[in-house]
Amino acid sequence: MMSSRRSFVLMSGGALAGLLMAGYSLFTARGTSTLIVPPDDVALVNQQPISRSDYLQQLQTLYGVDLPHATAAQRRKVLDDMIREELFVQRGKELDVASTDPDVRAAMVNAVELEIAADAITAQPSEAQLRAYYALHRARYASEGIMTLRDYVFPASGSAAAAEAAETLKSAPATPALLARWQARDSGKVSDEEFYFAAKIHLGESLFEAARGLPDGGVSAPIVRADAIHVLYMVKNEKPVPFDFAAARDRVLTDFRNEAIGHLRSGDEVFLRKRANVVIADDVR
Amino acid sequence: MRITLLLAASACLAAAVLVHLSALEGRLLRADPNVVPGNAALMGFALGRGEGLFEAHCAACHGTGGQGDPGRGIPTLSDGDWLYGTGSVSDIEQVVKYGIRSYHPKSWNLAIMPAYATPQPSARDGKIPPLSPANIRDLVEFLIREQGRGAGGAAAVRGAALFAGAGGCFDCHAADAKGDSAIGAPNLTDGITLYGDGSRESLWMSIAYGRHGLCPAWVGRISPAGMREVALFVYSLSHAHGPAAGAVSRAAASGAE
Repeated sequence: MMSSRRSFVLMSGGALAGLLMAGYSLFTARGTSTLIVPPDDVALVNQQPISRSDYLQQLQTLYGVDLPHATAAQRRKVLDDMIREELFVQRGKELDVASTDPDVRAAMVNAVELEIAADAITAQPSEAQLRAYYALHRARYASEGIMTLRDYVFPASGSAAAAEAAETLKSAPATPALLARWQARDSGKVSDEEFYFAAKIHLGESLFEAARGLPDGGVSAPIVRADAIHVLYMVKNEKPVPFDFAAARDRVLTDFRNEAIGHLRSGDEVFLRKRANVVIADDVR
Repeated sequence: MRITLLLAASACLAAAVLVHLSALEGRLLRADPNVVPGNAALMGFALGRGEGLFEAHCAACHGTGGQGDPGRGIPTLSDGDWLYGTGSVSDIEQVVKYGIRSYHPKSWNLAIMPAYATPQPSARDGKIPPLSPANIRDLVEFLIREQGRGAGGAAAVRGAALFAGAGGCFDCHAADAKGDSAIGAPNLTDGITLYGDGSRESLWMSIAYGRHGLCPAWVGRISPAGMREVALFVYSLSHAHGPAAGAVSRAAASGAE
């Protein structure tokens, strides 16, 4: 008798505990219809949560106050605005505005791409992965070269003077008197020291290619162009220096992540295309 | 029979602990984050859990004590110098949630240090012009002077003109070079450097090749309560001896758990 009573009490207790836990879960779990607002939200609009932190941020942005210092009117205004926004977003989904509004479509594409990128950067690559990536793409990680150059321009008919200048400049600097005799001038395109990329823009690709290999004090052979002859004199040439891993790490990490983002994006696209039912008209196949 | 009773008692105890923890989480989430450090019970509860989450998700970069790594441009979290926001719990929580240049639409991503030794220093703002090597040297001398580490001479004067003019540096770092924590532009006058050792070489590297470190967004990956706990733990790192956190010891933290 005593035993059956104890069994009954224990069974009842167990059932009650189960009911309590089930009830708690039922009314607090996400995705279920509930009247209880989860603690991290300030409201539920058709079961869609309005985040408490977004609400606090909005209060701060609009009125520069935190929750305890906000007036009732300020709190109400912010909450009303957020509820209104949520209602309109939900209505927008019902109306399927994305199918007609290009701005909404662009925003959705952008948002999905951002979400994929955010996934990629949460995974912190190990140092070994970064070093392997650096070793594979070492050529990318170097300082920008710097050059100080003189670009002497001779008339198209002055090939003899240009040849003489190319020889003379190997042992003596150009003086105004020499330039006058050669009927040459300094183009001034690269007068001060410049990064390689800037020198390339100022000189043009072919002159830059001729210049970049010159050592300090080096002189190019005369370079014939349609309208003139150029002789390049390299005052100082600081060639690009490869960065070691420590110096390049920041850029390696960025490139590694960008590549990971690219892979994830293309992977997602492949997945979406695979599961999609795409029918293409005969005439545009 | 005894085993059954023991199991039932254990289940009840576990349920009670769960309800208690859930209630504490609820209180933590409903509280204004900036006043939680003044609440020893909530702070103790949050610190114990926040430390574990920090170690799992943040310590790989920031170090277990938030000491950072200037070699990798990872900020120290324990020195009270804040690049983003004011160091309040709510500001820290925003960073934990949405990250910095994390690609999350709500992340902090306004300030990106241009790479002035490249043809297009800023991918976002095409109007920012590249600088010459001499320009960059002048800017370095200007910064050295502003930090009180040298006179700088004529180079610093030229650098100041570049800073306030063609270089466009003032746009983010402010006219007085003291930065703007509303966008995460560092103060360039205080001698605190995020990247490198503050030497001329490391300043050159920052100006020439740009900086744009990032911090992931943890929203959706850590629970809302967890993110607040991490924020409170990070806050405690720089307020270990402050009045608010003074009341909270690690013992209290483990006790609350």
